[in-house]
Amino acid sequence: MSDIADRTTRTRPGLAEIANTFARYANFTLGGGSATVAVLHRELLDRKRWINNDDFSLCFALARLTPGTNLLAFCTGVGWLLRGMAGAVIALLAASIPCAIIVVAGTALFSHWQDNHWAQAAIHGAVAAAVAITVKTCWTIAHPHFKSGARVRVILIAVTAFLLYVWAGLPAIEVLLIAGVAGALLPGVRQ
Amino acid sequence: MNVAVLYLLLLKGTMTAFAGLASLPVIQDELVVHRHVLTDTQLNEAVVITRSTPGPVGLYVVSVGYFVAGVPGAIAGWLAMITPGLLIIPLVHFVGRRMEHPRVKSILQTVVIASAGLLLAAAIPLARDALTGPVTVAIAAISFALLLTTKLDTLWIILGAAVCSWSVASLGILTRFV
Repeated sequence: MSDIADRTTRTRPGLAEIANTFARYANFTLGGGSATVAVLHRELLDRKRWINNDDFSLCFALARLTPGTNLLAFCTGVGWLLRGMAGAVIALLAASIPCAIIVVAGTALFSHWQDNHWAQAAIHGAVAAAVAITVKTCWTIAHPHFKSGARVRVILIAVTAFLLYVWAGLPAIEVLLIAGVAGALLPGVRQ
Repeated sequence: MNVAVLYLLLLKGTMTAFAGLASLPVIQDELVVHRHVLTDTQLNEAVVITRSTPGPVGLYVVSVGYFVAGVPGAIAGWLAMITPGLLIIPLVHFVGRRMEHPRVKSILQTVVIASAGLLLAAAIPLARDALTGPVTVAIAAISFALLLTTKLDTLWIILGAAVCSWSVASLGILTRFV
């Protein structure tokens, strides 16, 4: 699906559209970068159809293996696929400037709203929603691979990664590198 | 503190970390223990602020930068946060060309599925912190149902959750359960 022909026939969004989409959907999700990936998945694949599942897997997997904030690497990778270097830089800036400004404001005002009961109540509600979004994200990113003939494989890999992280206490990056090696050794993906 | 030095110190943290707060020990060691330009309390506050505002957890370096050197420091923190993201460009370029190779596809797929497993693991402490009473549990359950059954914009779900929680608190009912 993601060959060159496919990419050239798809309409390429303008830089302003890229900036608008990443500013709007990469900045306003509480609960960390993983919840934001689900929001972007919905927007980039299901609604706008700018990228397909192969593109998503490519950027998502490589973002997990890039140092720093995975979400920003993911946005940069998608921006690069859409419009080359300009797209990458625009996506990175749009995905990071608005939330950085909010953090600066939050830091400057911290002492004021730290004890504010109403603000805390609203934040609690938003973070509770983020838990639901994070759980849903697991399914969002795994289900395109969950096809007949590959289901046992998907469950085995996900459960093994979960156990290595939770029970064996391995750092996330080591779990992902082990997964990569396993992916190279396992029989190829059936089309 | 010179903001260029601050940028390099924060970059040392972000470049050597692969998830969320993994850069924290490096930054604590440099700024709190060795250079005394930040306190442990400020570092904790930076993490709390980032958890309570939207965006990735890695944003806490922006808050750290602000504590150390005001707005120029925040800009240094922001730059340190975004610089590693650029490393994905050669990776996508190189691996993307080999995307049709079954083995490359298999490696990427395995990493994505393993990430889903890790994400589920990451949701456990998040849930433990966030779901502290019937109101927050109900908000999470309703949000989950809406995510599964509708195409409702996630932004509205989050705003709706915040408004519900705020309304319950301002009505003064169940306050201690939120």
